Amino acid sequence: MKATFVTVFCALLFVPSASAMAQELLITEAQRAQVEALRSEVAGQIQLQAYDLLDELVYGWNEQPVFGVETPVVLANVSVPVGFGSGLQALVETHFTSLMLKNPRARILLSHCPQCTSVVVHSGAKGTVISRGAEEPEALSEAGTASGSRHALFLDFEAEGASLVLRARITRLDSALMIVYAKTLSSSTSAPALLRSEDRLKSAADARKEYLDALQGRTVYLIPVRMVVRSYAAGNNGVAAPPLIFLQGGVEAPLTQSRAWLGNFSLGASWIPELHVGWLAQARVARLLSGSSSSLTHPDVYGFLGASVLSIHGTDALAFQDGVPDVSNIVELALGRDPRAIFAAFQLGLELRVKNRIGMGVFLESAPTLNDALALGTYLDFILPFQTVGAEVSFCF
Amino acid sequence: METIIFLMVLSLSIFIESTNDPSAGIFRDREDARNLDCTRLGQAEAHARYPAEVPAPPARGTSVVTNAVACSRRFMRNGERPPRDELVLSSLRQTVGELVQTARTVVPAVAPITWHVDAFYPNQHVAAKISVAAKTELAERGLQVSDRVPLLAAGDIAVLGRMPPREAYSVACARYFAENILADDHVFLGLMIVDAREGQLHAGLCVRGQWKWLR
Repeated sequence: MKATFVTVFCALLFVPSASAMAQELLITEAQRAQVEALRSEVAGQIQLQAYDLLDELVYGWNEQPVFGVETPVVLANVSVPVGFGSGLQALVETHFTSLMLKNPRARILLSHCPQCTSVVVHSGAKGTVISRGAEEPEALSEAGTASGSRHALFLDFEAEGASLVLRARITRLDSALMIVYAKTLSSSTSAPALLRSEDRLKSAADARKEYLDALQGRTVYLIPVRMVVRSYAAGNNGVAAPPLIFLQGGVEAPLTQSRAWLGNFSLGASWIPELHVGWLAQARVARLLSGSSSSLTHPDVYGFLGASVLSIHGTDALAFQDGVPDVSNIVELALGRDPRAIFAAFQLGLELRVKNRIGMGVFLESAPTLNDALALGTYLDFILPFQTVGAEVSFCF
Repeated sequence: METIIFLMVLSLSIFIESTNDPSAGIFRDREDARNLDCTRLGQAEAHARYPAEVPAPPARGTSVVTNAVACSRRFMRNGERPPRDELVLSSLRQTVGELVQTARTVVPAVAPITWHVDAFYPNQHVAAKISVAAKTELAERGLQVSDRVPLLAAGDIAVLGRMPPREAYSVACARYFAENILADDHVFLGLMIVDAREGQLHAGLCVRGQWKWLR
C-alpha cells in the first residue's frame, strides 16, 4: 500500500511530455532488447557447458553409483548463476531429467515431491520456521506429505570467471540433514563441449580421446576438384583473349600437422567446341593466414603461390601468340592445323576454406612468356606483369 | 603505386595475426579485452589443452622458447553483476577452498565431528552460493557435513543485529551452545563479509562455544 502511494506521488510530481516519454520508452525498449540479446547469447554458451557438466556427473554415477540399490531422490533445487533466470533453470532441469531416465545404471530414481521444493511454515516448541520442505523434513513428516524419497539432490551452477562450476550434493532427508554425496565439476577441467549422446555417456578422458581422434583422423590426402575461370586483360589494340574455364583435379597434402602449409598438384582440362582444347598442370603451395592451425569449426584463409603450364589448341590459341595473326595462320587453320600455344604462368592468390571441404579463391596470374602477345594486356604491373585475374571454387573429397 | 601495394601485402599478414591478439587494438576494444581471462602456457601444456589450435612441440626439442596465451571470455561481462558480487563469485572456488583448508587444520580430527555451514552476505543469492560452495568443499574432503543451518531465536537475532559484526559472531557462537543448538561434536563454519565496503570473504569457526576468526 505504501509502495503504491509512493509510486503515484512520484508520478504526479514528474509528468514528462508525451514525446519525451515516447523517446524514453523507445530507448528503454532498445536497451532491453540489447540486454536480452546479450543474455541469450551468454545463456546459450552456458547451457551447452551446463549440459556437459551434467553429462559428466551422471557418467560418474553410472561408473560409481552413490547408492547400492535404486533409490528415490527428489530434485530439490537447481540454481543457476547469479544474474540468470528460470529459463536456464528449466533447460537444465529438463536435460537432467532426461539423463536420469536414460541412465538407470546411476541407481537414482527421480521422484516427485512438490512439498519438498515449496515453502513450508512449521511452528513448534522452538518457534516458527519458514523454509523449503526439503530443509524441514520433520515438518513434511508431521504433515503426512513426505513422499517416498528420503534423499534430496541439489544442483548449483555458478559462473566463476571463464569457468562454469557445478556443485552437486545429495542430502539425507532426516533430522540431521547429512550430506551423503558431494561433487564439484568445472568446465575448465572437464571434457570439451561435445554434446555427447544422453544414452551413451562417456568419460571426460574418452571424450577427449574421441576429439583427438577426430583431429588426427582427418584424411591426410585430399582430392580437390576445382572449377577455375581465367579472365585475360584486353590488349592495347582492343583485342582480348577469351576467358578460359578449366576443370582441375589433383591431390593435396598438408606439409605440417596443423595444416598451416599445404602442397597441391593438379591437372586440368578446358574445352569449348570449335574454339579450343586446353590442358594444364599446376603445382602450388598454400600458407594458412588466419591462424596457426586449420580449424574444424571456422573458415580458414590461405594465401597461395603456384606455377602452371598451360597448353591451348584451337582458334583461341591465336590470342596467346606473339604478333598479329596473318595469312599463314588462316591458311593453317584452313588446312586443319590448329594453332597451339604453350606457356608457363605463376599464380598469387587467396583461398577461403570451410572445414577443408569447400573452398573459394581469387588469384592473379602472370605469364612472363606472353609479354609480347598483342591480345593480352595487364591488370597489374608489379614486379611481374599480371595478365590474368581468376576465380575458383573447390570441393575436396 | 607498387610500393603501396607491396606495403599493403606485407602488412596483411600482420593484420590477420592481430585478429587473434587478446589485447586491445584494431580488432578488439578495451572493454572486450577486459572481458577475457588469459593464461600463458608452455607449448606442451597448450597442445594438451587445445590440441586443435596448438601444434605439438617438436620431438627433438627446440632452442626457441614457444608459448601460448589461452584466453576465454568471461561468462558474465564486467558490469553485468555488482562489482562486489562479481569479485566474490569469480574466485569463489579458490577462496572457499583456502578457507576450508584453514578451518580443517584448526579443528582436531580426534572424533567424528559434524560440520554446519552458513554464509552472511547482503545478497541472499550470493550468500547461498558461498554456503553451498563451502558445504560441497567440506563434504568432498571426506568430512561429515550437515545441510541444517543452526538457527537462533528471534530475540537473539534482534540483539545480535545491533552489535558490531566482529562481536556479534562470537556472541552468536556462545548462544548456539547455551541453547543446545550445537553440541560438542558439532562445528559451525561461518563465511561472511564484515564490512559492507570490502570484497574479501572472512571466515570464522565456532567450536564448543568459542569463536575463532580464520581470516
